[in-house]
Amino acid sequence: MVPISAYLILAAVLFGIGTIGVLITRNVIVIFMSIELMLNAANLALIAFSRGMNVLDGHVFVFLVLTVAAAEAAVGLAMIVLIFRNRETINIDRFSIMKW
Amino acid sequence: MNLDTIVFLVSAVVAVFSATMMISQRNTVASVLYLILSLLAQAVLYIQLSALFLSAVLIIVYAGAIMVLFLFVVMLLNLRGNQDLGDKPSPVSRITKYLVSILLVVELVFIIRGIGFDTGTVGIMTLAADDFGSVAAVARILFTNYLYPFELTGVLLLVAIVGAVVVSKREKSYETPAGSGNMPDDRKKVEI
Amino acid sequence: MDLQLPELNLLKMLPEIFLFLWALAIITFDLGTRRKTGATVGYLSLLGLLITGLILVFTGYGRGFGNMFYNDPLALFFKMIFLGASFMAIGSSFGLTNQKIVNHRGEYFALILFSTVGMMFLSSSNELLSLYIGLELTTIPLFVLAAFFKDNKLSVEAGIKYLVVGAFSSALLLYGLSFLYGMTGTTDILLMKVNLAVTQLKFEGNIGLVLIITIILLLAGIGFKLSLPPFHQWAPDVYEGSPTPIAAFLSVGSKAAGLVAFAKIMVNGLYAFYDPVMRPNDWGVLVGVLAAAAMILGNVVAIRQNNIKRMLAYSSIAQVGYIMIGMVSFNELGLASVAFYIFAYMFANMGAFAVVAFFEDKTGSCQIESYTGLAKSSPVLSIAMTVFLLSLAGIPPLAGFLAKFYVFAAAIKMAQAEGSYNWLYWLVGIGLLTSVFALYYYANVIKTMFFSDADSPYKLSFTLPVFTVIMIGLVGVFLFGLYPEPIMKFASEIPTSLGFIVD
Repeated sequence: MVPISAYLILAAVLFGIGTIGVLITRNVIVIFMSIELMLNAANLALIAFSRGMNVLDGHVFVFLVLTVAAAEAAVGLAMIVLIFRNRETINIDRFSIMKW
Repeated sequence: MNLDTIVFLVSAVVAVFSATMMISQRNTVASVLYLILSLLAQAVLYIQLSALFLSAVLIIVYAGAIMVLFLFVVMLLNLRGNQDLGDKPSPVSRITKYLVSILLVVELVFIIRGIGFDTGTVGIMTLAADDFGSVAAVARILFTNYLYPFELTGVLLLVAIVGAVVVSKREKSYETPAGSGNMPDDRKKVEI
Repeated sequence: MDLQLPELNLLKMLPEIFLFLWALAIITFDLGTRRKTGATVGYLSLLGLLITGLILVFTGYGRGFGNMFYNDPLALFFKMIFLGASFMAIGSSFGLTNQKIVNHRGEYFALILFSTVGMMFLSSSNELLSLYIGLELTTIPLFVLAAFFKDNKLSVEAGIKYLVVGAFSSALLLYGLSFLYGMTGTTDILLMKVNLAVTQLKFEGNIGLVLIITIILLLAGIGFKLSLPPFHQWAPDVYEGSPTPIAAFLSVGSKAAGLVAFAKIMVNGLYAFYDPVMRPNDWGVLVGVLAAAAMILGNVVAIRQNNIKRMLAYSSIAQVGYIMIGMVSFNELGLASVAFYIFAYMFANMGAFAVVAFFEDKTGSCQIESYTGLAKSSPVLSIAMTVFLLSLAGIPPLAGFLAKFYVFAAAIKMAQAEGSYNWLYWLVGIGLLTSVFALYYYANVIKTMFFSDADSPYKLSFTLPVFTVIMIGLVGVFLFGLYPEPIMKFASEIPTSLGFIVD
């Protein structure tokens, strides 16, 4: 038997790792994947809450968030390809013609 | 220590481990693969939480489609492990960032532990009522109560397609004589 | 198995549906004519916005899709602002479309319209899920638009920065929303309010800690959209790099969308739990501190800028600070003053950006020093710019002055009515003090244009769309500065009906 809060703690840890990834890494693709990980952590929390309360709204939430993540990934990856063509690098520190 | 606990612990450890590996890899392909592993572990947890439909969706759509898209892009850009990632930032800013993030995690964990949302324990052994989380149950609520956001995602996907096409289409020239407003002559060649 | 479909009532969302289909038609038209349409697609988009506005007037209040889609005064007022901002952004894009974006002219306009549709959906949703998707629908086209000049390094850089920040903030917001859902078991904001009270009773106020974390996450998520410090770093870079009309649209439209989300989630969903006994979610002070930081930082850093787009970006950060004063004044006037502020801000800011866009088009420069002596060669343009900047600074009798006045009045009224809101006096004090700084850097631009011996090398003649946009801005700034009653009357309906079902 696993308590619901165990899942929530796991979700918090995954979310934290995602945040670390966004703040620390300099590879834009890895930053983007870290954001995907954060979304997934939120999804895990939603499903755990949903199970705890025995209502299905959370499942619908997760389902639609997956769609949003797909849309965001499509546009985001296209833009990463664009900036790679433009600059020949994916290091976010190099994208600093303007002060960040 | 029963089966449920073991399944949870193993998947949780795998999920956290591979997430950590994902952000610490220098090789982007390895990062993508680690994220897929983390997602698979999370799918197991979804099953434990009786979200059967969503666990299938997570594997098929997320691990199967979105992550493959990432992989395609990584391959397309031909990134190697020894790519230019610049100098390491100053240790002070690194440590601050780590500290901030770790504090966030610790804080979240403590608060959730302190409150204890446990309205009960769950697992494979204590399955939810009948069809909780099945395709039919999710579909029923999705197409009745949540019809509006569902339609909105349709709009969103279309917009994302237009956006992605605009961004990724390769063109020869943008600059035409200022103010003329006419198409350049090589316009026809560019158009597909 | 019988499915109980909600009552659709699609007529109530006719403006959104129409605008969406119109945007698709524009892309198709542009492709169908083999992209030889010239400026026609731009005029078509303007026409579509006008028709949408007309339909909006006739649609009126009501709801559709069960309880998911509300047209309350808040929604209608902000839809008006979104349409206006979109109209003025498109109007000031004509210069660009002639030169730089010939290959994707149709998509450029369509994406602005898509983003507008997203904002309209967002302002009508009274439920977390559609609110989140509406917010995404608003930002995803803007990522693309920010990076629209694909050969321009600055533009692409602006796009990628906006993308990373936007995706990161939406993840933060989502995690916050998941906690809200976990505490209340519902995604409907109205029900959420009730359930949250019940949950708090059950946990004997113990849930407060989670609520605080939730509020911080939500604030961070929405704060990025509003460019509220400390979540503002992206704004100057993105404004500088992206096409000028898009920067204008970001600073008004996207900001207004963030304000709607803030009003719906925080003010409507969480405020009622400001309770002297439990006091678990007193987020007013927190927002107050951020607002003070915004006013100080925005106004002080703006002084040092040479690039007029960066200056306007910092000025817009400061303006958000003023708006947030109204947001945390939880009385009748509070939300109404916020709505009026963003309305007045729309005319002045879009107007100022239209002048900047026009100037950049003709001369290729965004530096403030390029405006030297402009008053002699192009007096109308300089006078228009002066009026817009003075309105942003809050000089009577322009609309910007009344906007600031209402916001401060709401705050003082709140502070007088309730002792624990004493800190609002401080906020108003900071607001007044920093207005002086603001006047300094706005006046600096005006001085450059008017009181310089050097002659401007540029002789600029208007084109019709830009002239229209600047005239709309001027008329709006003067008209609503002298005669604000109708708008204020409309705006004052917002707080009284917030969160109630309107039929």
